[in-house]
Amino acid sequence: MPHRFKDVLWLAGRDYRNEWQMSSFFILALAAVLGPMMILFGLKFGIVGSMLDNLIEDPRNREVRPIGSGRYDQAWIGKMRSRPKIDFIVPRTRAIAATIDLKSETANRIISVEMIPTDRGDPLLSHRTVPNDLQQLVLSNSAARKLNVKPGDEINGSLSRRFKGRSERVHVRLQVVDVARPASFARDGAFTTLHLAEAAEDFRDGHAVPPLGWSGVEDTNNTRTYPGFRLYTRSIYDVAPISDTLGELGIEVSTRAADIEIVQSLDRNLSMVFWLIAVIGLVGFSFSLGASLWANVDRKRKELSVLRLVGFRTGEIVWFPVLQSSFTALFGWLTASLIYLGVSFIINRMFTPQLASSESVCRLLPEHFLIALTLTLGSAVFTASLAGYRAARIEPSEGLREV
Amino acid sequence: MTSPITTLDTQARPSLTGERILIYHLRDVIKTREAEGAAFRLRVPSLQIALGEKIALIGESGCGKSTLLDMLSMTLRPTEIGSFRFRPKRGADPVDISALWRKKQLDQLGDLRRLRIGYVMQTGGLLPYLTVRENINLSRRLLDIEDDGLVDELAGDLDIRRHLDKHPHMLSVGERQRVAIGRALAHRPAIVIADEPTASLDPIAAERIMSLFIELVDELHITVILASHAWRHINRLGLRHLEHHTHREEDGSMTETVVSG
Repeated sequence: MPHRFKDVLWLAGRDYRNEWQMSSFFILALAAVLGPMMILFGLKFGIVGSMLDNLIEDPRNREVRPIGSGRYDQAWIGKMRSRPKIDFIVPRTRAIAATIDLKSETANRIISVEMIPTDRGDPLLSHRTVPNDLQQLVLSNSAARKLNVKPGDEINGSLSRRFKGRSERVHVRLQVVDVARPASFARDGAFTTLHLAEAAEDFRDGHAVPPLGWSGVEDTNNTRTYPGFRLYTRSIYDVAPISDTLGELGIEVSTRAADIEIVQSLDRNLSMVFWLIAVIGLVGFSFSLGASLWANVDRKRKELSVLRLVGFRTGEIVWFPVLQSSFTALFGWLTASLIYLGVSFIINRMFTPQLASSESVCRLLPEHFLIALTLTLGSAVFTASLAGYRAARIEPSEGLREV
Repeated sequence: MTSPITTLDTQARPSLTGERILIYHLRDVIKTREAEGAAFRLRVPSLQIALGEKIALIGESGCGKSTLLDMLSMTLRPTEIGSFRFRPKRGADPVDISALWRKKQLDQLGDLRRLRIGYVMQTGGLLPYLTVRENINLSRRLLDIEDDGLVDELAGDLDIRRHLDKHPHMLSVGERQRVAIGRALAHRPAIVIADEPTASLDPIAAERIMSLFIELVDELHITVILASHAWRHINRLGLRHLEHHTHREEDGSMTETVVSG
């Protein structure tokens, strides 16, 4: 059998080539259905994919932000940190106490920046150096620009308070270890260790900060509580469950869940539209291919009965239409892929100015091409085997004497 | 088989090689067909065809020639079978064709056709997408027979060598029939069945091709069964006539042909 399969393949191929006008008509008909479908899906996948990528890549979409202030201690923060859905959590000090004035030698203005407590694994500082002692910080892009500093530079930080009726100012030398990406923080800000943020808060409360040599009242209260925290979940899909969890604890939060939901439902709806079109297109094509194969069996009745007469078995005759429609599926898919590649190249070129370098409007992954091939081959082989079954029922003698 | 008695046997016709081997041995084989109230029946009470024989089946169209040929080429299932044995080779066991039909072992019948039978149709039956050479070689290809020069030799004998690389549609009807004869013989089958192979040709070409056909069959020692309605030149080729009688009911409701020989 595998042996004579080779002969059927040869004969089917020769017949297919001999009727090249008919064959190429069906190849083009298939490409005309499949090509636009691939372009449509490429657009859907490219546009929605970029939107999703943006959502996923932008850590701010994974942020769960408490509204108002609460009282959270280190133990509670530690417990939250151990939850698998939480990627990063660090406590915040009081916002009003978390500012610092910065001055550099290369710029002549003093700017007041927000202090953002950070730690290793901060999603806003991925691929950046993270400060790990009291006298290090990472500047936001706009702050670094205004201070005209680069990583490695030293700057001067100062805090002021009114203490026992007079105004005091302390200074601290700070090293800029890195500059954050513009997208991470749009305003003037400094990512510092939690300790520096705590030190600033302590100083403003009139407490002493011995490591920095700042004088004041000795702090007697050992269990510090924080009014808020910075929390990032592992993925955008964890935002909703974590918000719910916090909601159950009575913590009201704000997230970008609504944005995420919009893109997700857009993805779902467009997928639905796409599959509707794809199914209609494929079914339509299968019918037209099926009808032609069915008619082919009539047209080639004599040739098929000749094959039966020279000794081909029933099972081998079935392969005849099946192989030929597989050829159509294969070449049609190839043509459609070429059409797709050409059109997507043009589309992406047209949108180049609006896109980041890695983004594309029209995009398919290798597996999408394979899925298209599988679907096409599948439906072609299915319709062809119906025709093949019909071909196999031809009696060897019945086609012989038609003139 | 070297016994002097068999060589003296005058009853068996082609007895040059000794024992008379029956390639076909049929008893009480009947095919009935019914169409629009008119029934047709072909009855074969007894038929014996020996290996190496050349048989002519001559009669008007509609007398059942084709039905008999189809049954002999195992492409048409008889309605009733007393017994039907096929012995394609000296020394081989006879194959029980009636059992294969009964058990619906169509693949075995196909295998027998591929290996043992060559068939020449009334009109070509060539595959339009193959060249003349590939058409002639088809029967050999299916059996994996190495090229031993026979295809070229046949093409030479049939005077179609210059057409070997053309497609059938470029050939005249007569040339196509020559190709069909080539294909039927190329795999050296045990038997060639030809159904009016020259019916679509003018009488002169028909006679020439028919003589050529019989010559080649003789040369390759192949048994032949030939159906034709033109008996004049067939007579000169030394073929054995197969007796058959057709009689119709007066009201036309029933036609029966009886073949025996």
